Amino acid sequence: MSTSLVRRWAPFLAALALILGLGAFWQADRERNTDHVGNRAVVDAEATTEVQSAVSTGLLQVFSYDFSDPSPTAAAADEFLAGDARKEYDLLFKQLQEKAPGQKLVLSAEVQVAAVKSLDADSASLLVFLDQASQRSTDKESSISAAQISVEAAKVDGQWKVTALDLF
Amino acid sequence: MVEVEAPDPPSRRDRVLTWALPLVALCVLVAGALTWWRASGHDQEMVDEAAVRDRVLIVATSHIETLNSLDYRKVDEGLKGWAAVTTGTLHDQLTSVSEEDRKVLAEQKKISTGSVMDAAVTELDDDSATVIAAVEITVRDGSTSGEDAEPTVKRNRFAADLVKVGDDWLLESLEQVAVNMS
Repeated sequence: MSTSLVRRWAPFLAALALILGLGAFWQADRERNTDHVGNRAVVDAEATTEVQSAVSTGLLQVFSYDFSDPSPTAAAADEFLAGDARKEYDLLFKQLQEKAPGQKLVLSAEVQVAAVKSLDADSASLLVFLDQASQRSTDKESSISAAQISVEAAKVDGQWKVTALDLF
Repeated sequence: MVEVEAPDPPSRRDRVLTWALPLVALCVLVAGALTWWRASGHDQEMVDEAAVRDRVLIVATSHIETLNSLDYRKVDEGLKGWAAVTTGTLHDQLTSVSEEDRKVLAEQKKISTGSVMDAAVTELDDDSATVIAAVEITVRDGSTSGEDAEPTVKRNRFAADLVKVGDDWLLESLEQVAVNMS
């Protein structure tokens, strides 16, 4: 009697277990693709380094300028700036273009630290300490300034671009 | 006498349906559950570390502001506050401020208030961390002659090392990030 009962129900139980099991695998897959971290700054070392170095390289080039050949600066702006940062920079660059040749102005920038505050798949915000030296060969005047910049970046077509710059 | 039908000897197909199939299904269920459980914790380590990072940033911000603030009317209290948020050599330096220096601090009649404009964690371990901060320091002249004077505002770049002492994160060093052009 009991064996026949087992025999009758076994296939149903098996089917049920199979469905639940497959369901669990499906859920596991969904879980694996779920990001529980949110802000990956610092904790995801690889992604953090990637945005750090892109933003550092970008700012270094964008804030370096040589009156005798401004084209690398313009090219860097094309490559690394987007959005509001681009618009603001274009204004700044225009002013530079006007006064730089007369003053024989050379700017060179160096990024001291670029720290990532927040980071997800396609946006990031950073705090950057940047030094900028300016030399005017007309009056041999040179000065060095220390800047603190709050940077917003976005990943566009696989490349990090600076979208907003806020100097303190 | 009642005739009882002799049960058929279980066929091969029956045995498979009764035992093998449920067993396989059970294995799938167990494996599935295990995979689900593991998958749900796949980034738990990062989640925990992110929580530490956020805590370090909040604590560091507060400690950096403390070390950049001092009221000449409450020098002892201020120094006590400095001592409470530091450890190691920095702590030793701040706790060994002489009576004379305290007097000087009081006589300068300055009220400094540090405010962190922006800060970020650059390095993070289980028990140590480095934070950089953009700090605005407002200095007011508390003397009667300077009462109406505008406060001076300075902006500084700081790098701070923190270590975990017990459950607390304390400042081990706080240094200005000076201009360094090579």
